[in-house]
Amino acid sequence: MEKELKVGIGDMKLTRGEGRIITYALGSCIGITFYDPAIKLGALLHIMLPERQSPTDTSLFKYADTGIQETLRKLRAFGMMKSRTIVKIAGGAKMFAIKGNASFGNIGERNTARVKQILRAEGLRLMAEDTGGSYARTMVLEVGTGKVIIKTFGKPEKCL
Amino acid sequence: MRIKHYEDMNLQELDVMREISSIGTSHAATALSQLLQKEIRISIPTVSILGYNEALSRIGNAEEIVAATLVKMDQDVEGLMLFLFDMNFASTVLKTLLGQEYTCFEEMDHLAYSALEEVGNIIICSYINAFSKLVDVDISLSVPSSTVNMLGGILTVPIAEYGYETDKLMYFNADFVMDGNKLSDWLLMLPDIKSLNAILGKLGV
Repeated sequence: MEKELKVGIGDMKLTRGEGRIITYALGSCIGITFYDPAIKLGALLHIMLPERQSPTDTSLFKYADTGIQETLRKLRAFGMMKSRTIVKIAGGAKMFAIKGNASFGNIGERNTARVKQILRAEGLRLMAEDTGGSYARTMVLEVGTGKVIIKTFGKPEKCL
Repeated sequence: MRIKHYEDMNLQELDVMREISSIGTSHAATALSQLLQKEIRISIPTVSILGYNEALSRIGNAEEIVAATLVKMDQDVEGLMLFLFDMNFASTVLKTLLGQEYTCFEEMDHLAYSALEEVGNIIICSYINAFSKLVDVDISLSVPSSTVNMLGGILTVPIAEYGYETDKLMYFNADFVMDGNKLSDWLLMLPDIKSLNAILGKLGV
């Protein structure tokens, strides 16, 4: 059977050659896939918040800033080159909207903005995104082909 | 502040939370029973404080579709209340309320959604009423907001909202028994840490 890696909340998995990396039900969180097609190296990072606030916090993958840095560091060790790497993101939804309280649940939007800003600063190519809305997404990266599949409730599967 | 995380509560403090939830749940059950004109029995509620992944696996699985109603608390206690309906709970309630049978969330129309939102709202409000009387605090509640979506995505909402304070969820679970049918009642009450300290302080624990 094909190898399948599951990525929990605030976590990252990477693999090379074949297999699938999955993260389930991204709400306001963001799933970020990194893929270097030349060496078929793929990673999926699931971040929850934009920035780490305490330097003693060791859950690096929970935050966009430290999560992306740490993922890039690991990928580089496996031979990833930034110029070849394709990045795709999904998530950042607003699951609940409260009338008269517009700032509530904005975390998805803030996550999306921060992730894009960091990717730009790192000089990475953001090839596709499926963000915003009010629904959760499951994100799958097929490491053999680099294909990214998005599943949502009540909508057909989407390929990024 | 004595308590910095939900998991810092000792057994006595947890017992107080359980007692509060017991009173709250029985009021919620009474309200539901009056609404549906049915007898409802409840089991003793349990209080759990778990990380996201454990809470998720206890309640269901990440991609399971559930309905949820969320209300924000303000004033003396700040935080979130989240009520979850699984399909079994939702269809039993809708059958009694609307006289219509639904077998999955995809079949539901606007009327069904808004009925569920109202039921969630009634359950949360009667819970909070009982709670605020017991603790003697004023709590104002926002307009309810509902969604039908993947459980995993819904549970990340409180975690992301209070992500810098705690990565644990506090939830109460009881069984409602109606017409011999066991319905799981999942209610997440998430006061922020400041309010939690205030509640426990007020109760003299």
